[in-house]
Amino acid sequence: MSREAQALLVVAAILVGTILFALQSVRRIKMDPQQFLVGGRSFGSLLLWILLAGEVYTSFTFLGAAGWAYGKGAPAFYILAYGTIGYTIGYFFLPAVWKIGKERGLLTFPDFFLDRYGSKPLAIGIAILQFFLIVPYVTLQLSGLQTLLTIAGYNHFDATAAVAGAFILIALFVFTAGLRGTAWASVIKDTLVLGAVIFAGIFIPIHFFGSPAVMFDKILQSHPHWLTLSSSSSGQGITWYVSTVLLTSIGFYMGPHTINAVYSAKDGDALRRNAIFLPLYQLVLLLVFFAGFAALIIVPGLTGTGVDRSFMLVVQRFYPPWVLGAVAGAGCLAALLPASALLLGAAGVVSKNVLGDAFNIATSDRARTLATRLLVVVVAIMALVFWLFDNKTLVELLLFYYNGVTQFMPGFVFALVWRRASALAVGSGIVAGDVVVAYLMAHQTIGTFGINPGFVALVVNVAVCVAITLAWPRRTLEEPAAVAASS
Amino acid sequence: MTPAKAALRAALALVPAVMLTFAVPFVNRVEPRILGLPFLLAWITAWVAVTPLFLYAIYRLEGRR
Repeated sequence: MSREAQALLVVAAILVGTILFALQSVRRIKMDPQQFLVGGRSFGSLLLWILLAGEVYTSFTFLGAAGWAYGKGAPAFYILAYGTIGYTIGYFFLPAVWKIGKERGLLTFPDFFLDRYGSKPLAIGIAILQFFLIVPYVTLQLSGLQTLLTIAGYNHFDATAAVAGAFILIALFVFTAGLRGTAWASVIKDTLVLGAVIFAGIFIPIHFFGSPAVMFDKILQSHPHWLTLSSSSSGQGITWYVSTVLLTSIGFYMGPHTINAVYSAKDGDALRRNAIFLPLYQLVLLLVFFAGFAALIIVPGLTGTGVDRSFMLVVQRFYPPWVLGAVAGAGCLAALLPASALLLGAAGVVSKNVLGDAFNIATSDRARTLATRLLVVVVAIMALVFWLFDNKTLVELLLFYYNGVTQFMPGFVFALVWRRASALAVGSGIVAGDVVVAYLMAHQTIGTFGINPGFVALVVNVAVCVAITLAWPRRTLEEPAAVAASS
Repeated sequence: MTPAKAALRAALALVPAVMLTFAVPFVNRVEPRILGLPFLLAWITAWVAVTPLFLYAIYRLEGRR
């Protein structure tokens, strides 16, 4: 058997095995919207931990973090820091969000705004915005998948069809198994990814250099400034690092998929206990950086999007096909399972907040489950088409995702602590923030003194929201009428 | 929760966050190397590793809810 057949066979076995395991785990579960989208709000600490951690560890973490260590050096360290602060922020506000979600029967992220601000236009606007921010994030996972499958095939075949096949497979899996299936599949995914990362981050540096310390000596010899941040106010220097960590940690829980995971908790205490342990999971990233740094010495010269292939090329060139297949298989799960959570989040938002609330379609439990399932497939096909036609500007699109979703945070926080803020104020803030983001990202020549454009937009957003609230505070502060889920 | 406890809780949450952001300009260097890691990476890694201790202290302070 040829080496590409061996490697790809291992990848296929990992994907099919994981899906079968997850389907087996949800065999007896009856699906309604509560079960399909938020796992019946029954997840205890361990499953919740794996789901929350698993959604964050995507193919961007697996390939992109190593790629950044390889291609940029110290700016990559922001990835290690922001999740940790994100979890700290989450410790304080997620239990309150969970409690409101439980008491009011909320299913989606825009539901929270609908319930707190009592404004359908605001919730529908947020639903549509989130939907459009999600598609490029899914598309990014597809490109990760393509990179992995191409390398696993020793560059001997065009991976486009394989990517489409794997993605349709995962969409059908989500169609069947819902959030609970994703959580169980994440158990296998996280185990395999951890194994792959330990191999790439510990075994490879020891194999080639004797120890990580010697590896860093070599990098400092050839790239003396690689391991510190530049102090200039242009490009990715210290100012950029600080503002990016703040922005992305604030936006950490603002995706439609993460809020599903939060609602799925059994109680608020499970979320607090989770937040305590989740930062430890971030430490895995240190090993991913090691893998990227090792590749910088072993396979130098990659540029542009090629840096994302860095440590996979090391595995391809120096290790047997089954090792390559196992590492690539773990990476494929790291692309597909977060993508499945994203599909589920986006589909839930559209079926509940757009079809249901805006057009009064599919409002019964049965119809809503069916609509959500079909939308999973529709969103998957949209992302696939988007990926086939435009896979050049993905990094920009990912940054747009974070810059965009972070603009929801002021309204989210004010809903909990400043009830005078009105739907108009929050909506205007979001619009102002997203307009500033789009403008700054489209005109990159405009300097922001090294500050991340999304952070500038967030400041504008908060200013607009506070100004409008002070001018026209909300007068009626009684609990808004229950407008959320039917169940 | 008393005001003193609330202030302590806020401080416990802020320390790791500040160390991972605003303190970084002051530790942006390679030497001294810690276990072979350049100092900046060692600093960030160490604060990520101890954040659970701070969150656990907050958890104990708040008590079960």
